[in-house]
Amino acid sequence: MDSILTLLTDDLLFKILSLLTDDSDRKSFRSTCTAFYRVDSLHRTHLRVLRPEFLPSLLSKLPRISSLDLSVCPRIDDNAVYLLLSSAAPIWTRRIKRLTLSRCSGLRFRGLETLVGNCVNLESVDVSYCSGFGDLEAAALSRAAELRELSLDKCANVSDVGLAKIAVGCPKLERLSLRWCFDITDIGVELLSKKCARLKQLDISYLKVSSESLRWISGMERLEILQMVGCGLVDDLGLHYIGKGCPSLEVLDISRCDKLSSSALGSVIKGHNSLLQLHASYCYSELPMTFVDQSKDLKNLKVLRIDGARVSDAMLKIISKNCRFLAEIGLGKCSVTDTGIMHLISGCVNLKVLNLTCCSELTDSAMLAVAESCHNLLCLKLECCNLLSERSLDYLGSHCILLEEIDLTDCSGINDKGLKYLSKCSELVSLKLGLCTSISDKGLSYVASNCFNIRELDLYRCAGIGDDGLASLSRGCKKLRKLILSYCGGVTDRGMECLSSLEELSDLELRGLPNITGAGLRKLAAGCRRLAELDLKLCENIDDSGFWALAYYSRNLQQINFSGTAISDVGLCMVMGNLTRLQDAKLVDLSNVSVNGFELGLRASCARLKKVKLLAFLRRRLSPEIIETLKARGCKIRWE
Amino acid sequence: MDPEERLCADTWTKSSSSSESLKTPPNNTSFNDFNTQQTFSFNNPFGAQISVTSNANNQKQMSDPQESNNTQDWDPRAMLNDLSFLEKKIHQLQDLVHVIVRRRAQSAGQADEILVQQQQLMTADLTSIIVQLISTAGSLLPSVKQTICPESSISQQFGVTNQTAGVSDNVVFQHNNSVNKLEDPSDMTGFFGAEQNCPIEDHEMKSDDDADEGENLPPGFKRDANLRMHMRGHGDEYKTPAALAKPHKESSSEPILIKRYSCPYIGCKRNKDHKKFQPLKTILCVKNHYKRTHCDKTYTCSRCNTKKFSVIADLKTHEKHCGRDKWLCSCGTTFSRKDKLFGHIALFQGHTPAIPVEESKGSAGPSNKVEQLEFKYKSDAPSGCSCRNVMDLEGSGEDPISYFSPLNFETSCIDGFQEFPRPPFEDSESSFSFLLSGSCDYPPKNGRYTGSNDME
Repeated sequence: MDSILTLLTDDLLFKILSLLTDDSDRKSFRSTCTAFYRVDSLHRTHLRVLRPEFLPSLLSKLPRISSLDLSVCPRIDDNAVYLLLSSAAPIWTRRIKRLTLSRCSGLRFRGLETLVGNCVNLESVDVSYCSGFGDLEAAALSRAAELRELSLDKCANVSDVGLAKIAVGCPKLERLSLRWCFDITDIGVELLSKKCARLKQLDISYLKVSSESLRWISGMERLEILQMVGCGLVDDLGLHYIGKGCPSLEVLDISRCDKLSSSALGSVIKGHNSLLQLHASYCYSELPMTFVDQSKDLKNLKVLRIDGARVSDAMLKIISKNCRFLAEIGLGKCSVTDTGIMHLISGCVNLKVLNLTCCSELTDSAMLAVAESCHNLLCLKLECCNLLSERSLDYLGSHCILLEEIDLTDCSGINDKGLKYLSKCSELVSLKLGLCTSISDKGLSYVASNCFNIRELDLYRCAGIGDDGLASLSRGCKKLRKLILSYCGGVTDRGMECLSSLEELSDLELRGLPNITGAGLRKLAAGCRRLAELDLKLCENIDDSGFWALAYYSRNLQQINFSGTAISDVGLCMVMGNLTRLQDAKLVDLSNVSVNGFELGLRASCARLKKVKLLAFLRRRLSPEIIETLKARGCKIRWE
Repeated sequence: MDPEERLCADTWTKSSSSSESLKTPPNNTSFNDFNTQQTFSFNNPFGAQISVTSNANNQKQMSDPQESNNTQDWDPRAMLNDLSFLEKKIHQLQDLVHVIVRRRAQSAGQADEILVQQQQLMTADLTSIIVQLISTAGSLLPSVKQTICPESSISQQFGVTNQTAGVSDNVVFQHNNSVNKLEDPSDMTGFFGAEQNCPIEDHEMKSDDDADEGENLPPGFKRDANLRMHMRGHGDEYKTPAALAKPHKESSSEPILIKRYSCPYIGCKRNKDHKKFQPLKTILCVKNHYKRTHCDKTYTCSRCNTKKFSVIADLKTHEKHCGRDKWLCSCGTTFSRKDKLFGHIALFQGHTPAIPVEESKGSAGPSNKVEQLEFKYKSDAPSGCSCRNVMDLEGSGEDPISYFSPLNFETSCIDGFQEFPRPPFEDSESSFSFLLSGSCDYPPKNGRYTGSNDME
């Protein structure tokens, strides 16, 4: 044993490691022996921690960490930052280039300022969904003068002033996302365009900016990607500016900009023949003919999304003739017909992603055409295509063997036989079969016996699925991470026992399963130690015995939905107090929990909760201190 | 009062007021002298003063019905009037010269400065009278010739006369534009109106060809009145229609008369003796410049009690937005509007908007609040709520005290309110865990999982 391992030099081990992409594989690797562990420590550059308490020691052991992700840590606040930086001589701060602080809602500007001030080489920061962040926090961020990349998504209090701070302080910015920063206006965007000339990617989705902003943006020479989803105030004039400016533009997303007329697209295309991606979903009720005519200029187009716009067969024919390199097309709710699909396929044979959601007129013959032409298909979305039968899956299974993702939600024609055909696509990673009422355990067993790579499986309201199906699943699909079993009434405690052998399962939805009891939950919790998200809504027969087990085992649980369960005061306090990673809890309709139970449960967890859902009557019954404390720590309370 | 007399009186009041001001405190004195101390690149010191005096009359002239009546026949009586006016003026002139002679004799012992000022006052009055004389004399000519000659040729002729006389650009301007106005020589306001631009220019512009007018105006101004208001800021010489016309026209037709003013304060950059002299363009500029830079700031803003001004108009401007300038730049400059601040920031390297104090308080609030709460919990908990909780829940559990004793501890110093003395990130082991291991028969805890970090 030893002799073989000594033959492997560090260089070789490094090479091997760089080929291991899967987390669990790497985990196995580093658990092999100390030599492997050492190599893994030296190789690792990115660290995503769930428990900040181990961070100082980890960082001192891993000398190459340049990227730190604290987004799933609870209770990252100013004090935590001080402790982190004071605990050891923080040499690691100089190495950190990328910092992910998404959803660290407890952090405030002082902590952020300290962190940014210490990590002098920061190049990328993500503070998305830190809903309490405002101009002061933006000012703290602006001290990172080397910053290239910044995401401020949903930092709702950041206004033009904060943006100006960043624009002046970080002139090297190349990527900036301002999605949902509702307080930012044209004035801020204007200043940004003047100060940050290196911007390559800008996301101004859902901002209340007008065409005036686009006038300034059009002057950005290096801008390659512009996302402006849902900018309802932007009109044709704005797109006209974009058409005349932005010489480097490659990707444009104008989805849900509902004030645009057909000429807007025309002016963009006229100015940008080299566009690679065009996203224009839900802008038009009917695809403008001008676009179709001008599509001949878009020879390099790779991605086209025109969901929501009615497209005629002739239009698809012209598009497929002009844009031969299309790899992805989004035609959701476009009322595409079989003939249209055939026209499309005739030109675009390289399609990898095809979204045909709600194209309910499609029949098996369209799928036959797709399967025969597009052998490289990776992702196919067929939600609500009711006319498709098992024959479609037969064609797909025999031709598109590379298929990784398929969405068959609400395709009532899909049955066990169809799943048998589909199981030939052994590369499947994501399979959605919600509302397919005709499938049963037998069909699932075909899938489980062939598709070992499945990570995501949606069986929402598949009434035919029971414990046997889950048994075969637990034998075959060992890599399953996300599983939705809501309202599959046949699932009982035995099914839970089967699932407990899925060690990688992290996201489980078990809504409305009355046959699961505390014993089932106990078995599940004991087995699936990686559970991070658990939805038990309306599982009315799960009692405290199950929750005690949950509190004991599921130390990685981050989100939980208890609503409508039989949990009592004690159970709630145990779970809330003991699950130290818990950040999001939905606590509605708990008939066995008293006001004091809620009070204690919240007090036990208030330091780490980021989001909590409670019944509205509790607002007056809970002590004002606890509500204030929660709010002060950045926790969002939703009163139902 | 006779019009001319009144005018003379006006002139004199002006002059005397300036001489009076000599006795007032020094700072005021010096700023009141501004009109007597001018530099003249084209050597006409008094045009400005005259225009000040005639300002009021000029307005009146606009509404004068006689004005519109352009085509008059030759009126010998009017001519007679003019002549007698001339006679009177000549007498006045004589008197003045007498006075000058006398004063020179007297003032041998007086301080140089005062002497110079008095002389200048005198010369001002003198020139005023000369100007009046010449213009009235000039107006005699068209009233005789008008019936015979076309208007333009007369004005040409006139221009020559005036220029040779070398009096003032105002006069030049007058002959050029508004000969018609002067046919009634007894109406002195007419004369002064001539240099007073607004109404006359208006008239002049309107008589022009429409297309031509459009060409003359820079594209930025749709109304000529707006253009004139704009040009006023550039100085008196820009008020002439010549200046308003296209540049090439201007150069061909008229020699440009440029007036420059000097600040009386020796050593000031605006003083003509300064090496890098930067002249002031209008008399108003001189006045305001002097007040702003060389006088005490006596007007204090009643709102903020900090800002002081020496020009009352400045105070009023400030008061309009005092306290409302909430947009602050890192350099300390305040702005009433956000876009103005952002324009400023865009212009200057390194400037950033300053975040208002209230906001920083608000954001700092939560952390303070937490500290307060922490304190409150600590003081309350032992006696207060947590005990009550135990009592309330007594019926629900089998042995509530044993269940909740750790819980009470937990809530009483809720671990969220982490204090510095406590070990960092203490909560990886919660106070509930011993409870679990004590009361349940679960297998002993597997160390592998407690420490597992989700590493990628």
